[in-house]
Amino acid sequence: MKPPQRRLAGAFLAGAGSRLLPASLPWRFFGAAAVFHVLAWLALLAGAADWPAWQGGLGWPLAALHLVTLGTLLCSAIGASLQLLPVATRQPVRSQRLMAALGWIYVPGVAVLTLGMGRAEPHWVAAGAVAVLGALAVYGTLLGLNLKGAHGMPGVVLHGWGAMAALLLLAFSAVALVALWLGRPLLDAAAARGLHLLAAAFGVMGLLAFGLSYVLLPMFALSPVPDERRQLASGAAAIAAIALAMVAAFGVAPTALRLAAIAAGTLALALHLQLMRRTLASGMRRDFGRALVLMRIGWGSLALALGLALALVLGAPAAIFGRLFGIAVVGGWLLSFLFGVLQRILPFLAAMHAARGQKRPPTPSALTLDRALAWHLRCHVAALLALAAATAAGAAALATAAALAGLAGALSFGVFFVVLMQRLRQAREGGKPGAALN
Amino acid sequence: MREPSHHAMTPSRQVCRSLDEEHRALLEMLGRVEQALVRGTAADLARLVGPLQHHLEHEVGRHFDFEEQQLFPLMADAGDGDMAALLTEEHGHIRAVVAELAPLARAATAEALAPPAATLLKQLLLELLERQVSHIQKETMALLPLLDDLLDEETDRRLAFEYAAG
Repeated sequence: MKPPQRRLAGAFLAGAGSRLLPASLPWRFFGAAAVFHVLAWLALLAGAADWPAWQGGLGWPLAALHLVTLGTLLCSAIGASLQLLPVATRQPVRSQRLMAALGWIYVPGVAVLTLGMGRAEPHWVAAGAVAVLGALAVYGTLLGLNLKGAHGMPGVVLHGWGAMAALLLLAFSAVALVALWLGRPLLDAAAARGLHLLAAAFGVMGLLAFGLSYVLLPMFALSPVPDERRQLASGAAAIAAIALAMVAAFGVAPTALRLAAIAAGTLALALHLQLMRRTLASGMRRDFGRALVLMRIGWGSLALALGLALALVLGAPAAIFGRLFGIAVVGGWLLSFLFGVLQRILPFLAAMHAARGQKRPPTPSALTLDRALAWHLRCHVAALLALAAATAAGAAALATAAALAGLAGALSFGVFFVVLMQRLRQAREGGKPGAALN
Repeated sequence: MREPSHHAMTPSRQVCRSLDEEHRALLEMLGRVEQALVRGTAADLARLVGPLQHHLEHEVGRHFDFEEQQLFPLMADAGDGDMAALLTEEHGHIRAVVAELAPLARAATAEALAPPAATLLKQLLLELLERQVSHIQKETMALLPLLDDLLDEETDRRLAFEYAAG
């Protein structure tokens, strides 16, 4: 029987128990993401002196960017989607061996790729890119199989297919950029870079963030699943915006197509925010604390990014506005939203793992070190503001301050993660996690 | 456009409405307890603990028994056995917390508790709050809509009568 949409979120909660992957599979991606997050701010610290003049070439700022995008954002998205999508689309969990292999290839691949970027070694970058792209091909296959057999949730599925298509373009543009660094250009540099940014940030990560929100927010807020026609409308507008901007990146009617892309993107965001607002307004738990603060920062940053994009199209200086746009998209929107989600789903998943065979398993909050998350939020916001100021003022000292604040935040999140793992292990061994440590 | 409200989730069957009303009443009571734990005094908390304990001992037991005996089998027959098993398991966890909470709650209504007992009482109340909210969340989003679809009018009337009489 096909469950009506209004109870899919409930079915999701039930299915999360029966379709729970072995802990080592998703947690290796979440753990790697936490480590890469620390390394990203360390890389920025190493490249802070180069930050004011950086124009996107090889060096530590580029390594920092990819430690965030591939290391933190995509690594978390892989872990979350491998665990959550089979539940949301009521699909069996597919080959666990492939998932394990994916982790073993992807994580070292990202490490080699970013080290190569930091040290400006194109051959290391190429070797890392081969591993990362190979792993992403496996991930894309698993994701595609899941979406192909999906039951229900058409809005989530549309966003998933959009992310899949973007993954292919991400791979193509990555090959073009690596070829460029190796001295064998396949595409014009600006076109390759534009395509890469759009496919990665908006296509893969952005569409996954929008799509998974329609599963996660109702679950957090205890509300019905948002209107599916509007989910589809928002998803279609977002995909159209990305496609228009991609065509513009190849120099086809750039001003007109970019303006159309911004208009479509604004429509997608407006519809998405309307759905999120209704989800929260109709929920039985409307305030889920710090996680919601981070998500709101994320949504606000995406709106800001669209404003900056408009300024760029209208002739604002690209050197400053282009990088402010990047900070708003990657740091402000995607990273803030991700950490808002992670601090809710990691304790939730950990509690489900701890529940196996337990008479009275720990609650998510008993597994959470709340103080660490409070510090993470403060440092995250301070780091983003300092990085924006460093960009606007061209000040390396401010970039150093941003890196130090970000590093403190990343370490705080790392402490939260380590304590979560310790408490999970303690709970599985039959002990009671120390809630008093909160 | 009209803003959707809580009514977007209000069930149509009588038995579901009764359960939903009890969920909302308990959530409201737990919300007041949470406020007292976060911002209130020991006296505020003591005033709320007595009625909460009474509610847990009398109403929640009846509510859980009815669900387990009458509703979860229907859920399992409709192919949602996983969810029925999960909800039954959660009833067990909540009953265990209520059992541990009961003597402390009774003592708290009679006199001010000494620090270790008062701390334990707060911890147990927070645990109860988290477990109940998560449990009601699942029932509101899975059990009640399923029953709304499954029950015919006659079965609904019979179950509603049995629940009211029980």
